[in-house]
Amino acid sequence: MDKAEAEAIRDVLAGDRDAYRVLMDRHFCSVSRIAFRITGNEADAEEAAQEAFLRAYNKLPNFRQDSTFSTWIMRIAMNTAINLVERRMRDFSYYAPRIADEPSATEHTVRIADTQAGPEASLLHREAISLRQAAMAELTPMERTAFTLRHMEDVPMAEIAAALNVTSNSAKQAVFRAVSKLRRSLTPIAGGLR
Amino acid sequence: MRHFSEEELIAYHLRENPDEVVVSHHLESCTECADLSESIAETLRVFSADPVPQPDLEQNWRRLRGSLRVLTPEHRRDVGFSLRHWAWPAIGFATAALIVLTMLSVRVHRTNEIRRNIAVNGHGPLTTEPIDPAIANHLDAAERLLTEVNNSSGRLDNTTREQAHTLLLQNAVYVHDARDSGDLAGAAILENFGRVLTTLDNEPPTPHSIWRLRLEMNTSGLLLDIRILQQNDDRSQGVSQ
Repeated sequence: MDKAEAEAIRDVLAGDRDAYRVLMDRHFCSVSRIAFRITGNEADAEEAAQEAFLRAYNKLPNFRQDSTFSTWIMRIAMNTAINLVERRMRDFSYYAPRIADEPSATEHTVRIADTQAGPEASLLHREAISLRQAAMAELTPMERTAFTLRHMEDVPMAEIAAALNVTSNSAKQAVFRAVSKLRRSLTPIAGGLR
Repeated sequence: MRHFSEEELIAYHLRENPDEVVVSHHLESCTECADLSESIAETLRVFSADPVPQPDLEQNWRRLRGSLRVLTPEHRRDVGFSLRHWAWPAIGFATAALIVLTMLSVRVHRTNEIRRNIAVNGHGPLTTEPIDPAIANHLDAAERLLTEVNNSSGRLDNTTREQAHTLLLQNAVYVHDARDSGDLAGAAILENFGRVLTTLDNEPPTPHSIWRLRLEMNTSGLLLDIRILQQNDDRSQGVSQ
């Protein structure tokens, strides 16, 4: 493992909380990026990344330094993000604002804007995004994670499997299932199941 | 001429198919496979990577730092263990029982339609009826937890144990549903999984408890059964669409 990181871990374990900043500066962006791919939105990605770093900090005394900190934190981040997605699926109204005549921050209400009823291209773009989001929502958290990491982040299957704590074949199957489901979800538009 | 399956073509597009050249040659001469391949490629293009927002490092550090306790040797001990020794299992069990009873009483009012049985071992598709999409999440979570159990040495961490507690509540509902729909094989597998979860949730962790659990409850065999249930679930979904 990197010498600076090993020193930072030693300092943290000796009681120096600020030494953790070294590890955060090096890995927070990549952790946040992976969390964004899994959760699909910025607020949840940031929450998952924060939680992952906090969990890693608390588990640091048990960290076996035979693997790199980066692999370890990624694994924690993926599990944290998956758990967050699962929690959100159980409580899908968590972030949903209510519609009202007047928007209010305290009441968590919003007003639907009607000034943006723009050109056809804008409508189609929004429709495409909404179709993509709906299709992604059909995937299980594990399928979504395996798919986005493999396809969007180009992470090798073995690393995905290690992070998800499943066999390489299971990770591969999860990616295949995800692509198959997404293809079927796109049936109504071009490029879907023919 | 042997056609390639959807799975093989997905693997080809994700560069996971070792026979890349063979597939490539085949696609040049087979319209059917070329159409399927193009459809997969289009799907992957539609879901290509969007830009990722850059986090504010300084702000995140400030937020995180407030939650960091100073790590000293006494903090390294598992202080929760003594608390959990008898109180948490009792509280957990009482809460689980209450939530399961509430969920079951709500579900009792739902229509008890009999669905066709899904075999445990076989080469589906084994049903053409739509299934509850949430079971796919449950089976995924079950697979991850059992893999953790099968690969861990020593005690499971608190997060995994909390996950076992959450799954225990959901599992009871799926066992009930499977029995109601006549899927006795599925119910039996989920019941066995429930036993593993109950043990994880209630027994105090010891250095050898995971080994004992693996041996007594054959968690490797159970993992295989769960994967077969997943396969049945995927195939039935594919046919129903």
